[in-house]
Amino acid sequence: MKQVFKFFGVVGTLVALWIALLLSTELSPAVRLVVPYLPVYALVALGCYGLGMVGYGLMVFPTCPEEAVLLQKDIDEAKAFLKQKGVYVATQ
Amino acid sequence: MELGDRTVGFLLLAFSLSLFSYYTFWVVITPFVDSDHFIHLYFPDREFAVIIPVVAGVILLSFVSIFIGVVLLRAKRPKAKTA
Repeated sequence: MKQVFKFFGVVGTLVALWIALLLSTELSPAVRLVVPYLPVYALVALGCYGLGMVGYGLMVFPTCPEEAVLLQKDIDEAKAFLKQKGVYVATQ
Repeated sequence: MELGDRTVGFLLLAFSLSLFSYYTFWVVITPFVDSDHFIHLYFPDREFAVIIPVVAGVILLSFVSIFIGVVLLRAKRPKAKTA
């Protein structure tokens, strides 16, 4: 619940800042051109951040092929041991 | 052709970074450049800076909704047969 209040506090502050920028009169004409686009810009930036973090996570995702081979060896060993003791082991 | 996860991740990261920098140039920096500068040739009209993201968001949302609907319908059908 506290997180919700924090989220709406941040969003409300940003919206108030944006409205203040929209209403302020002492801005240069170039800045006046940028201000109306800020919400869409924030949306695009957020989307790019999400996509980039997914890509980065995919890039640095740790894999250990040696461990997979060792685990498979362990499984085979255990299966052979159990079969030798007369335990039914399903094989595919 | 099998693309490795790492390659896909790198492509996603590069795509998002280039999209972000292009959009930043388009929306935030071009208003500060003189209107007869050659750099304006590389950017479409500024109203498309709003239209394209909104259209893309609508298409994305509808695809997500269609996907969820298809999954729900598929999950329901076998249950209806057994009941």
